[in-house]
Amino acid sequence: MSLDRAFRWTGLVGVALFFATAFTPLAHALSLWMAVEPELVPSDAIVVLGATVSQSGILSAESTRRTNHAIELYQKGLAPRLILLGGTREGGVHEAEIRAKAARLHSIPAEAIITESRARTTREEAARVRDLARSRGIRTVLLVTNSGHMARARPVFERAGFEVRAAPSDTYFAPAAPQARLALMRGLLQELLGWLYYRIAGYA
Amino acid sequence: MIGIFMLALAALTSVAAYLLGVRRLGLEPARLGAAIGRMLETVGAVLIFLAANLLGAVVLVMALRGVTDRFVSIYVTDDAVWLSLALLQGLVFQWWRAVSGKKADRLLLEERGNLG
Repeated sequence: MSLDRAFRWTGLVGVALFFATAFTPLAHALSLWMAVEPELVPSDAIVVLGATVSQSGILSAESTRRTNHAIELYQKGLAPRLILLGGTREGGVHEAEIRAKAARLHSIPAEAIITESRARTTREEAARVRDLARSRGIRTVLLVTNSGHMARARPVFERAGFEVRAAPSDTYFAPAAPQARLALMRGLLQELLGWLYYRIAGYA
Repeated sequence: MIGIFMLALAALTSVAAYLLGVRRLGLEPARLGAAIGRMLETVGAVLIFLAANLLGAVVLVMALRGVTDRFVSIYVTDDAVWLSLALLQGLVFQWWRAVSGKKADRLLLEERGNLG
C-alpha cells in the first residue's frame, strides 16, 4: 500500500469517526454501554478515588461529582467512614484535603474522614488504602469513581484484599454540543486505554 | 440542535466556495473529488503524527518512571496541544512531499528533454 493510500484510509476513518462522534449520540451510547451497575449496600468505608485539582485548589468537575456522591452515600448511612484520596498538581493544594473540607461543610464529623494524598496512580491508591484499612478493620468498601475508571479500579482494589461494591459517580446525560460529545468520547477512550494497559501489565 | 446549526452553516459556506471556485476562479468541478482525496490524505498524515507523538509520550513516561524516581503523570497526553502540533507536522510533511514531487516531475521532464 502506498503512503498516499495509507494516509487516505486513515483520514477517511478519522473523518468518519469525527462526524459520528460530534454529530450523533454515539459517545453517550458508548458511555451507557460501559456503565457499571451500582451496588449500594452497607459497607465498612466509602473510598473516593482521586481525579484532578487545579493548582489553585479548585476541584475538577469529575472530582466534585465523586466527592458529592460520596457525601450523599455517607449521609444515607451506607458506611461509617469516608476515605478521600487525591494528590496535588505541581505543589498546589492536595485534592484530598479540599474534599475533606467539603465533607466537613456537609456536617460529616472529622473523625469519620480519612485522607490520603501521596498516591499518584490507581494502583498506588489501592496500596495506600490497604495500609490505612488494615488497622481499622475495613474489609468492604463502596468504591466511588466514574464507570469508565471503575472497570480498571475495581479489580485493583479486589487484588488489594477488599470486597468491592461499585458506587459509580456518573451523571448520565446526553450531551448535545459537538464539543461536549468529543470530550466525552476522549474520556471514554482514555479509560479504555488505561484498562487495556492495566490488563497487559497484570494489574487488573 | 447546535450540531445541525453548525453543519448547516458549514454546508452554506461550502456551497458559496464551490460557486466562487467554479464561476470566478475557473476551477473544474470534476477535480473536487481529487481535492477531497487530498484532504483525507492530509488528515491521515495528521492522525498518524498524533498517534506517533502520543505513543512516544507514553513510552517516554513509562521509561522515566522505570529508570528514575521521578513520577510523570500519563495524563500529559491529555492536552489539545498534541493535536495542534500534529496538525502542523502533518501539513508540513504533506506540503514537503507536494513541492518535492513537483520538483521531481520537473527534473524528470528535463531529463526526457520535454522541458526547456
